[in-house]
Amino acid sequence: MARLTIFIQGLLRWVSILALLAAWQAFAEAHVVSSFLLPAFSTVVVRLYHDVISGDMVLGIVLTLYRAFAGFALASMSGIVIGILIARVPLMRWFFDPLVSVGLPMPKIAFLPVFILWFGVFDASKILMVAFSAVFPVVVASWAAAENVEPVLLWSALSLGAGRRQLLWEVALPASLPQIFTGLQVAMPIALIVEIISEMAMGGEGLGGSIMTEMRFADSPGVFAGILAIAIVGATLVKAMEVIRHRLLIWHPEALAG
Amino acid sequence: MKSTLTRYTPLLLLAVLWEIAPRLGFIDPQTLPPLSAVVRAWIGLLRDGDLATNGLSSLQNLVAGLALGIVVGVVLGISMAWYRPVEVLINPLIRVLYPLPRSALIPVMILWFGLGAASKIAAVFLGCLLPVVIGAFNGARGVEQVLIWSALAAGAKRHQVLWEVVLPAAMPEILAGIRNALALSFILLVAAEFIISQRGMGYLISSYGEGGAYDAMFAGVLTVSAVGFFADRAYLALMGWALRWRG
Amino acid sequence: MGISFREVSHTYRPPRGRPVLALENVSLDVREREFLALLGPSGCGKSTLLYLLGGFLPVEAGTITVGGRPVSGPGPDRGIVFQNFALFPWKTVRQNILYGLEKQRLPRAAREKRAQDLIELVHLRGFENSYPAQLSGGMKQRVAIARTLAIDPAILLMDEPFGALDAQTRALMHEELLAIIRRTPKTVVFVTHDVREAVYLADRVAVMSARPGRIKEIVDTSFGGERGSEIAGTREFTEKVEHLWGLVRNEAIIAQERQGS
Repeated sequence: MARLTIFIQGLLRWVSILALLAAWQAFAEAHVVSSFLLPAFSTVVVRLYHDVISGDMVLGIVLTLYRAFAGFALASMSGIVIGILIARVPLMRWFFDPLVSVGLPMPKIAFLPVFILWFGVFDASKILMVAFSAVFPVVVASWAAAENVEPVLLWSALSLGAGRRQLLWEVALPASLPQIFTGLQVAMPIALIVEIISEMAMGGEGLGGSIMTEMRFADSPGVFAGILAIAIVGATLVKAMEVIRHRLLIWHPEALAG
Repeated sequence: MKSTLTRYTPLLLLAVLWEIAPRLGFIDPQTLPPLSAVVRAWIGLLRDGDLATNGLSSLQNLVAGLALGIVVGVVLGISMAWYRPVEVLINPLIRVLYPLPRSALIPVMILWFGLGAASKIAAVFLGCLLPVVIGAFNGARGVEQVLIWSALAAGAKRHQVLWEVVLPAAMPEILAGIRNALALSFILLVAAEFIISQRGMGYLISSYGEGGAYDAMFAGVLTVSAVGFFADRAYLALMGWALRWRG
Repeated sequence: MGISFREVSHTYRPPRGRPVLALENVSLDVREREFLALLGPSGCGKSTLLYLLGGFLPVEAGTITVGGRPVSGPGPDRGIVFQNFALFPWKTVRQNILYGLEKQRLPRAAREKRAQDLIELVHLRGFENSYPAQLSGGMKQRVAIARTLAIDPAILLMDEPFGALDAQTRALMHEELLAIIRRTPKTVVFVTHDVREAVYLADRVAVMSARPGRIKEIVDTSFGGERGSEIAGTREFTEKVEHLWGLVRNEAIIAQERQGS
């Protein structure tokens, strides 16, 4: 019975979204506002289709994803290492604690011109800007995870014959994975947002850059098509992270409960 | 007090490094002017009114967008929790907007409102709206039924219960959502100012950057970062005071 | 492999707050293959004593020797079972049990066989590929015991292992534990605050005082060697339980009063 309820709820969700799109379409066709301000959903979809077919959109998506991923990967690796170091090495903690605590609430996007100054106007500055913004949640999550590993897990491993060096890889890391992955799930959308903003500010190729170009040409359907593309890409990434989480953390109580 | 000082010593060390390294040539002083040069530039910006003009513009747009986002967000979120039809109507909108980075909508705001303050306020508003709506919705939904029933039994009318019971009980979640919105408002404002230019701290930073006055650029970056940091800290203190009854 | 505690003291130093003397001059001998229970009120330091023996805490004052040699860190000669099971949640039942065997570098076939034997021993056949989150409390504890027994430690340290289980499961686990010890005799140091459990399982019960922990009295509970579940009904059993309960109760009252002051 519960299964049916969940199914119906899921269905209703889709129905309500479809209803929203239908409302959009009706609203646009009624010409309540000009089609410049709000192109019909159908127009936008057709435009998106054409852009994908022609290859322009694909190039943009690939570039944006490449840069966002590169920055995300950089942020993930360095963030996890730094976070774990902070938890285990007092000197690291002393040094990084104020940096993290001050850096977290800062609007790091303000540093974009700095990164442009340092690394030029091509990919490097964007990738590093993304990494700089995305590293903070990863550090915080990894730090918290490493600090909260239950001592009895470590003690059990030791009494079963593990050497101290093996504790990090064999116990602390797997035990920390759920929390670390949550940090990664927070960092991923940040990476995409920062990449899009950087592209919009700097122009050029990529989803963000294309949208700005279309805006300058007052190409309203183009702008909306670009946004639709971003929405789809964003939602896909979030979903992909959830699927990966489920696979990786198959042993976690929450995964087994569902 | 002492512990605060020792806690932030690494920042002091970095500041010293920032001063020394460019001076000694370890870092090209073109790409990283010494801290003292940045401070001097900052004072210059203050004196010739550049800081005030742009800072004020940014502040106005930020506060406007944030305030709008908070008011609309709280009203919407609580209405959604309280009146089923509102929830059915608004929920899909939220679901659709949630995974979409609101900054992606800045070009649409420009299409609609042009290159001016209205677009910036709209961008900030959109960025702030969702965290507040979600916080208010979850907070209101989580209010224990027994509280509501007690109030009704005591003779309160339904809309009074909303104001006098649901809203206060939902406060922790609402305030948490607003904290989120505060951080996002800074990001969206700076992003919008980079893109729209004309005026504001984002414009100040990028135009000095393009013009080669890097010490002024860094002064702008530091100012924005500091304001963002202290705004969050101040808000935390406010939140702590507002929720002091929680213990 | 007898165990000897001589004048062991331990101070607990919390990150914030004043240091607390947890144990004071504890001296105690545990004979080889003996089942000794450490009994006392909460906070009396009995777990601390166990952790010192296990090598998880450094011995700062006094000496602890195992088989004549001083303890210098954890090792596979002293296996430990914790109250909250401490299973590796990302490993299956089988993988948990295999962990210690892998550390001993047994050849693959031998490892798998031993793991399977232990799974049979603790009656968990069919659950080899389950994750801890899918098991009940009793089952988890059985996995923990199997995991520790896998490396065949001479000494078994148990820190209130059945405290998180319901009464029925606990009773079953008592039987299982005694059966296991009968088959493969070990020296067992068993921490508990449950008087009946201590008398039922142990050869001797060492009662500890309230903090700072000292050995207050040691009571013989061997019941002449042979023990089956009928001893729980005998007069001798009840008398011993009452006697120990009186001792523990006094200490518990002292501990409570101290907390209030």
